[in-house]
Amino acid sequence: MSFLFRLPDIGEGLEEAEIVEWLVAPGDVVSRDQALVEVLTDKASSELPSPVAGTVIRLGAAEGDRLTVGEVLIELDDGSEPAEPTDAPDWSTADVVPAPKPTDVVEPGGGVPGRVKAAPSTRKLARDLDVDLNALTGSGPGGRIAAEDVRAASAPAGTAADSADHARPAGDLGRMSPGRHPLRGVRGVVARNMARSWSEVPHIHSMDEIDASMLVDFRRRLRGMDRPGASSVTPLTIAAAAAARALRLFPMVNACIEGSPGESIIVHGSVNLGIAVSTDSGLVVPVVRDADLLDLFDLAGAIADLASRGRDGTLTAADLAGGTFTITNYGSLGGRWATPLIVPGQAAILGLGAIADRPLVVDGEVVARPTLPIVLGADHRLIDGDLSSAFRRAITEDLLEPLRLLVGG
Amino acid sequence: MVVGEIASSVDLLVIGGGPGGYAAALHGARLGRQVTLVERNSLGGVCLNVGCIPSKALIEVADAVAFPGRVAGWGVSATTSLDMAAVREHLTGIVADLTGGVERLLDRAGVTVLHGEARFSRPNRVAVEHGATVEHLEFRHVVVATGSRPIGLPDLPLDGGRVVGSADLLFADVLPDELVLVGGGYVGVELGCAFAKLGSRVTIVEAEDRVLPGFDDRIGRSVTRGLRRLGVGLCCGHKALGIEDDGLRVTGPGGEAVLPADTVAVVVGRRPNSDTVGIAVTGASVDEHGLVMVDPQRRATDTVFAIGDLTAGPALAHKATAEAEVAVDAACDRPNAFDPTCVPMVVFGDPQVMTVGLSEAEVRATGLDAYAHRFPFSASGRAHTLGDTEGFVTVVADGVGTVLGIQAVGSHVAELAGEAALAVETAATVEDVAGTIHAHPTLGEAIAEAAQGLAGRPLHSD
Repeated sequence: MSFLFRLPDIGEGLEEAEIVEWLVAPGDVVSRDQALVEVLTDKASSELPSPVAGTVIRLGAAEGDRLTVGEVLIELDDGSEPAEPTDAPDWSTADVVPAPKPTDVVEPGGGVPGRVKAAPSTRKLARDLDVDLNALTGSGPGGRIAAEDVRAASAPAGTAADSADHARPAGDLGRMSPGRHPLRGVRGVVARNMARSWSEVPHIHSMDEIDASMLVDFRRRLRGMDRPGASSVTPLTIAAAAAARALRLFPMVNACIEGSPGESIIVHGSVNLGIAVSTDSGLVVPVVRDADLLDLFDLAGAIADLASRGRDGTLTAADLAGGTFTITNYGSLGGRWATPLIVPGQAAILGLGAIADRPLVVDGEVVARPTLPIVLGADHRLIDGDLSSAFRRAITEDLLEPLRLLVGG
Repeated sequence: MVVGEIASSVDLLVIGGGPGGYAAALHGARLGRQVTLVERNSLGGVCLNVGCIPSKALIEVADAVAFPGRVAGWGVSATTSLDMAAVREHLTGIVADLTGGVERLLDRAGVTVLHGEARFSRPNRVAVEHGATVEHLEFRHVVVATGSRPIGLPDLPLDGGRVVGSADLLFADVLPDELVLVGGGYVGVELGCAFAKLGSRVTIVEAEDRVLPGFDDRIGRSVTRGLRRLGVGLCCGHKALGIEDDGLRVTGPGGEAVLPADTVAVVVGRRPNSDTVGIAVTGASVDEHGLVMVDPQRRATDTVFAIGDLTAGPALAHKATAEAEVAVDAACDRPNAFDPTCVPMVVFGDPQVMTVGLSEAEVRATGLDAYAHRFPFSASGRAHTLGDTEGFVTVVADGVGTVLGIQAVGSHVAELAGEAALAVETAATVEDVAGTIHAHPTLGEAIAEAAQGLAGRPLHSD
């Protein structure tokens, strides 16, 4: 009988995916786990394996189309006997009235069949936000799905308004052939997110330039240690640790305004740092989860791993979802000041300029010192100037004297 | 309402006034629907009228009768006497109070209650027969909550005298001398314990090799011990052949025998009332057991919802009540789904049984590792003060410490079902339960103790 393979929630928090390339065609015989299609979700591409062996009857979408989680991706004939009469599926309405089945319990998502590790209140939230719990792994003890996990899963990967056309601009930086190109792929996602950020969020940016002498020295000594991750420690690592600590001190910065126009303030329960990484196909922001619980070496290793996978193009959708705050190291491209835009679903972003020797007044004398320019962009709906300054100051103090990161307080 | 061939319009129709139906009607009214409820007998359904409620009342009566025996070692001597007619009046009074309460709730909510027997005549229409009159109702949505009826045995037809169903037995005027219960499920166990305490000589005939065959082995053994202590005869692995002058003829591995009986009660299970209401007319699918096929919103067709004993799952009042809200929400386009992790079960035998979620064996059957700790009531201070240390609490968890099930046997353990279900339904971990301070001295401490045992730090057990 025909098997309808619906677009699964392949990572946390993704509502839809773009069909990049079909790897099979109607009539093809496929084996179980054979890759069927390459899809792009929130900037990560993945191949979806076939859950059954069978023959491809038809494809549910064309390349370039966007599908919502739960929509039919492909119909396969798996060779089994029909269990009950099924009407010929109308692809446009296949989801509207599901044929009632005797097995009325939700499909398992791992663990005990039928068991979803979520409280009734969380399940209600998931229904309200239209999130499929079966595909989620919870962040709570024992994998319990928390309300926060559901909200993260429903955070828009792009808005529904965007239509079908998205391009994956290829090749060298800035190179593109003359003519009209569809806006899709990573570029399309970036375009939508940035437009949304620019139009919805009133940004304020505050800046400071920090004497980085001790930071540079601290980093040099950490790199000399015989520890895994030591060689990956960079000023970005130390700034990330400082930001994670500041986010713990000021939960209101680790938050967002949800709904349009803003209806509620969501304060995130964990500190998940997005690290902006430049790739051939555009900017991606993979996420270090629970960054505040990692030590400097582990944090360095995690950031290095995400950055290298970002450049290789092997990030998964789950790597990109769930960020609560973002750091962009624009200084790695040179430059002193920038005004970065906040990622939708977050309240602030930290930018790091290039460390360079610059004139600094120390004890009444102008001296050359390595300095680090930092910029904090904040959502002014949520964050006033005093909070913005206090948050930035907390980071500044840790960067001025990074030993504070080791002793707490 | 117009009587005759012309149908009157009903916005939300509810068929059946039991725990599913009246809850659906109240919820629908709360959401602003115009609700009509059709009931053929009395509001409250089997549960309130002839099931859960009167049986629990009778079990309390039986415990009162057995009180002198229980307190004999406490320095108290008492005697009791029994007046079955007065008992019947007592039960009837409780039922009347509760059904009256349901009637008032429906009235206050503005629900129109029609008395009569409803049958589907078309996919969107029912005929309600009341005596000689027939009323036709055309509905926008219908919630079918017609419940179930006892299964009879072809060789043992009910005669309303010597061979009866559970309802007749509950309201019996005269206490049977020799009572044989055919069926050792939860109804047989509850009635067996109660009538043994009231003074009948009771025998339970069960086709499987022990009572409560659907339950975990250890639970079955504990309940078997309890029945033996009350002097209940157990005739497991036997089937009833028919009634004779001397009693009930049964057959088993050792051949045939006749069990002396002045009353035989048949309590072998229930069958959904999907046929009597003719739900198939609507296009709903009904399986060979009479169960209506529904989706997670309890939708059988676009406009027909079925809940309670009509749908797959345990035929229990609280399941029907939970489904009622889901179905009505769905009919009002509100997101909801019947997706419980557990439907708790309680058996008011002696000892009582409470099961929530999965047992250790059920977890293993799924191929997963199960971790369980059993805390015996012999280590519970409260159980000692109650004078009954039979039984235990078992907490079952998966490899990452999520509580998957809690089972208990013992005095009053039915009252622990709420905490157990909350733990399982909210995916509490063993540490959550172990770290929650439980009041001392209560039976509920046993749940925390079992969790502490599972967490590797047992206090009063090992």
